[in-house]
Amino acid sequence: MKKLLLVMLLMVGVFALSACGDEEVDGKIEVTFWHLSPVGDESYSQVKKIVRDFNNSQDVYYVNEYGFSFWDYWDKLNIAVASNTAPDVGFSTIDDNVHRAQRNVLFNISDFIAADVAAGIETVNTNSFYSNQLGFLTYEDDLYGLPFTATTRMLFYNLDHFAEVGLTADDVPTTWSELQVVAKQLDIVDGNKIERIGFDPTFGQGTYMGYLWQSGLDYFDDELQVTLNTQGHYDVLDWMVTFNNEYSRSQLNSFGEANTILGIDPFAAGRVSMVVGTDGLYQTLLDYDSTMNYAVAPIPVPDEDGVRVNWGSGFSLELYKNGRELDEKAQGAWEFSKYLMSVSIQVEYADAVGWIMGNTEAMDIVAEGNPIITALVEECAYAVDKLFVPYAPAWHAGDWFQYYDQLKAGDATVEDTLKDAIDWYNEKQTNYNATQ
Amino acid sequence: MATQKNKALGKLRSEERVLGYIFASPWLIGLIILGVFPIALSFYLSFTNYDMLGAPGFIWFTNYRILLSNDSLFYTALFNTLYHVAISVPLGLLVGIILALLLNSKIKGMGIYRTIYYLPNVVSVVAMSLLWLWLFQPSFGLVNNLLSPIYNFFKMEPLLWYQSSDMSKITLILMGLWTAGGSMIIYLAQMQDIPSELYEAADIDGANGLQKIFKITIPLMTPSIVFNFIRGLIGGFQDLTVSYIMTKGGPGHSTYYYSYYLFDKMMSDNAMGMASAMAWILLVITLVITMGALSLNKYVFYLGDQS
Repeated sequence: MKKLLLVMLLMVGVFALSACGDEEVDGKIEVTFWHLSPVGDESYSQVKKIVRDFNNSQDVYYVNEYGFSFWDYWDKLNIAVASNTAPDVGFSTIDDNVHRAQRNVLFNISDFIAADVAAGIETVNTNSFYSNQLGFLTYEDDLYGLPFTATTRMLFYNLDHFAEVGLTADDVPTTWSELQVVAKQLDIVDGNKIERIGFDPTFGQGTYMGYLWQSGLDYFDDELQVTLNTQGHYDVLDWMVTFNNEYSRSQLNSFGEANTILGIDPFAAGRVSMVVGTDGLYQTLLDYDSTMNYAVAPIPVPDEDGVRVNWGSGFSLELYKNGRELDEKAQGAWEFSKYLMSVSIQVEYADAVGWIMGNTEAMDIVAEGNPIITALVEECAYAVDKLFVPYAPAWHAGDWFQYYDQLKAGDATVEDTLKDAIDWYNEKQTNYNATQ
Repeated sequence: MATQKNKALGKLRSEERVLGYIFASPWLIGLIILGVFPIALSFYLSFTNYDMLGAPGFIWFTNYRILLSNDSLFYTALFNTLYHVAISVPLGLLVGIILALLLNSKIKGMGIYRTIYYLPNVVSVVAMSLLWLWLFQPSFGLVNNLLSPIYNFFKMEPLLWYQSSDMSKITLILMGLWTAGGSMIIYLAQMQDIPSELYEAADIDGANGLQKIFKITIPLMTPSIVFNFIRGLIGGFQDLTVSYIMTKGGPGHSTYYYSYYLFDKMMSDNAMGMASAMAWILLVITLVITMGALSLNKYVFYLGDQS
């Protein structure tokens, strides 16, 4: 019995000692940081270096970094925040930051900035960030996150295809009617089979809400009531699904699905001449070592009263409370956040992961001499994030796609799609309100 | 002397008891932390509006009331699941039994055939789903290419498989049959246990092959048939991976299974309280159906059971 207890004690001791192996940590306050560059990812070593440089730059804090795959990260973070085991600092999504701020799980960034200013310490320069992103990160006049990255959507167009039909970059469409004319010139059809398509509003990153915004419409009103029941809403959705009306939905879906199933981007594969894409498409083309001659332009807008706007989001940098009040760990997380948001580190991070960073000064440096990045960065100023709707957080995704996919499959009319979607959102709202 | 002996024995028993608990403690701790606690917590959460961020607020039976009386998707998802279970479980049993009967012969290279039929069970569900997505693709998939002579003969449009809300559930069920080799192994194991004397006696009595199957093999396989049936029922109610990957629950919610809706309630809507209520409703449904299935036990013939 005694021997058994002794063995167990020894095992506990061995585990305890092995946990104290890292000498660098000694005496420093440990801070955890979750990011999206897991071990094995191309960007991992650069992100690790950025963290190591911070650790070596001062003697007070030690940041432990943990990288997760994009596809795992969000579920892990959600569960960790719910169980008060979130990192001290980590990425999240900008659009629903206000929800976390309301629920009091985040430290108030404005308080940190105010304390820095009062102490005469250098702090983050919020003037370097996109104002629309700061708006989404503001709850009751205070900031609850920092805009670490930005995204935007633009029209990517293939100049080689343009040249084939005698068009140049000057002919890039700016309105929906011009888009229709140019797109039709670029279509290639062999019998029943579509070989190449000029443009389809439902392909790539074209979204109903994005086209609504361009038309001066929205999905929800200020009271977060769904507003899909006007003629304007009908017209926009109808325009999307009838843009290529000369082809059957089955032809279009097969064409689109062939790309998805084969895992190729239709624009990168030269099967689509113009497509709405995010800055991620630029990275995809880089990853493919594409020799394609292409350019980007603002997404064409409706002919009458069209608004230059696109759906852009980004990752926020947030400091998680984990059920505790301000302490030295939180202060360490803030110091590390300032470091991550600084111009030089944002440039380094952009180089590591290829994202558009939230710091515009940094992006001016990154974009220098690169017309595509320059255009993408410029367009970020016209990007708007989607609203956070508490009763339907996935209103733009799962909630909408079920109806939208039926419409695209030709199984529902535009009218029925909108009616069914409205009924669904209203039901969700009623049920949500009943639980509050 | 006797008292001393009793004391020593008592001490020994007590030490043994403690040791017993120590050795069982990994399992006991695991059961309490990973089993009992989450189950009890989910029961409590099912009466709250917990959104995974704020403190859970107690709302009595509101989640249950909403799900049962004011959630149009709840019954759609439940119907889809019942449809899936009602067809896929018996069909899976049938295919598994036929495979096992075919692979219970003593021909050369039988081990290779058995391995081939079992192999789909070790393929990742994601890879399998993507593979079948290709095969069932209406325009360029292999299935429709193979069926094109039939389409031409009957002058009919090619089936749209998972792209059509009428065919999508059947498509996923057919796809699921690819893994029938899993239950086949269990049937085969039981078939190997059937004494050869029974077949020899049947031969002497002049029974033909079919009679031997229906009078000897299948009755003696009933324990594994019932086992696979119950396992299939429970698994079927929890199915979501294939529809999540292949159809995203569509088209038009036609493959939106109960567990998928439960998952979405939790991960997309942050409605952990509602998701917990769904989990408890599912538990009750599964329990009732499983209890019904257990009543089939009276038709099970256990080898050696003379009664």
